[in-house]
Amino acid sequence: MVILHRFVRFISVIFGVLLLTFLLIHLVPGDPVEVMLGESASTADRTQLRSDLGLDKPLAYQFGHYLNQLAHGDLGQSIHTKEPITHLIATRYPATVKLAFISLLIALIVGVPLGVYAALKANHWQDLVVTIIAVRLSAMPAFWLGPVFMLIFAVWLGWLPVSGMENRTSIVLPAMTLGLGLSAILTRMTRTSLLEVLNDDYIRTARAKGLSERAVVFRHALRAALLPIITIVGLQMGSLLAGTVITETIFSWDGIGRLLVESIEKRDYPVTQACVLVVALSYVIVNLVTDVLYQLADPRMRQH
Amino acid sequence: MKKFSYAILSLWLAAVLAGYVMQLNPDAIDLNAVLQKPGFQHWFGADDLGRDLLARILSGVEVSFAVAIMVTVVTMCVGVFVGLLAGFYGGRVDQVLMQITDIFLAFPGILLAIAFAAVLGPGLDNLIFALCLTGWVSYARLTRGQTMSLRNRQHVQAAQSLGASVPRLLIQHILPLLASVLVVEATYSLASVMIAEASLSFLGLGIQAPHASWGAMLRDAVRYMLVAPHYVLIVGACMMSLILAINLCGDHLRDALDVRTEK
Repeated sequence: MVILHRFVRFISVIFGVLLLTFLLIHLVPGDPVEVMLGESASTADRTQLRSDLGLDKPLAYQFGHYLNQLAHGDLGQSIHTKEPITHLIATRYPATVKLAFISLLIALIVGVPLGVYAALKANHWQDLVVTIIAVRLSAMPAFWLGPVFMLIFAVWLGWLPVSGMENRTSIVLPAMTLGLGLSAILTRMTRTSLLEVLNDDYIRTARAKGLSERAVVFRHALRAALLPIITIVGLQMGSLLAGTVITETIFSWDGIGRLLVESIEKRDYPVTQACVLVVALSYVIVNLVTDVLYQLADPRMRQH
Repeated sequence: MKKFSYAILSLWLAAVLAGYVMQLNPDAIDLNAVLQKPGFQHWFGADDLGRDLLARILSGVEVSFAVAIMVTVVTMCVGVFVGLLAGFYGGRVDQVLMQITDIFLAFPGILLAIAFAAVLGPGLDNLIFALCLTGWVSYARLTRGQTMSLRNRQHVQAAQSLGASVPRLLIQHILPLLASVLVVEATYSLASVMIAEASLSFLGLGIQAPHASWGAMLRDAVRYMLVAPHYVLIVGACMMSLILAINLCGDHLRDALDVRTEK
């Protein structure tokens, strides 16, 4: 029942996202066709583009047409290269997914153990050090962390390539840039969540029946403490997806974020529109999956 | 940590004031000093046109703060208004308003601001507009939740049964109790708006040359990273110190006003 309710909300949100991205092009001040083609374009070209984009039709008709096209997997074509946008996105999207996935992995590998460590050493100096580092890291935006990593690991130490995506190790720096910020958040969440759980009655029971500290923490406490982390990871996937825009630009990583920035620079609005739509849809879907996973993982939610 | 964060904030304030008094010129080009390292003549070094980095950073922080304050005030007013309505009336009104916020929340991070700024075109006005368009949602959510629980409080119901009008109830009986939560949220949002502004400027969507902006400076700095690493390091470190200080102040305020989380 809960899942059905989520699904209805999911559909209505998707509809809203489609409407908002559709309206984007109408927010362009003045005539979008003129802005896209520049002043030197001929009248014939303008009329052509206007009718290609359907801008000469009523708004409601345009939206219907837009939805119809989308339903057929057609995102229109790029104004500059005339390439179908679906194709552009299909070539760029996997790189972004790969980057986001590796970043998430780094965040989990670094963040969760550090959080557990800080919680076990709560109020000792180790806890303080971890917390201070986590606070620092979460204050560092990608466009500062990225260049610093580039300087240290690529320029000074020469361990990793500066940018591009030709080498296998090219992904390390952008993934670290994205992942470490997220790991700071995970560290703080894991710490708080584990500390809360460690005060629960059943943990006292587990200790009282003589289980080793290791079994208490890892088998009893951590399992319950990690549940809220699922939600956090789902929500943070969003900032990860948005963060790729900047990180991909810094590291010349040919993903959808860079495609978005390029399309903005060339005023290729249909491509901009499509990129925004694809990223937003990915985020909504990730959130839906997280919600469902959470329901399945938490026995208390399953009974309702 | 607390004293440290206030110390950094006061230092920034003092630096901006000192910049005024000394009348530093952030736009003065000195081709003999191109990408100069920090030294006596230019304390923080110089950028790719030989402009004094310290002067540009100080002028950048002014713009950044101005944008952050403006966006925070506007988004807070709009968000609180929407949240109060949704939380107080509930039912249909709530459903429709929350549906709208749901749609805005479906765009992760600053993606929607990037999209708006992209179609509106670069420039300070459009940047502020884009950030305002997307920033009110979190306030609306926060206010709605709080209002829903506050409206059933006895003092609100007492006022209502004495015949207080809805605006009076909202402004005199509910809003004051929201103030502390909103102050904390606004502090955090100052920092996040500054990051968003810098991100957009970094992408070339925000403040345009020759005006100084941290995002645009970082963009240039990355370009000259190999020859002048001090450029990117100094600008980044300045930005980080300020954002960290604001966030720590937010943490401190939250603890002091004891809202949202338990310790």
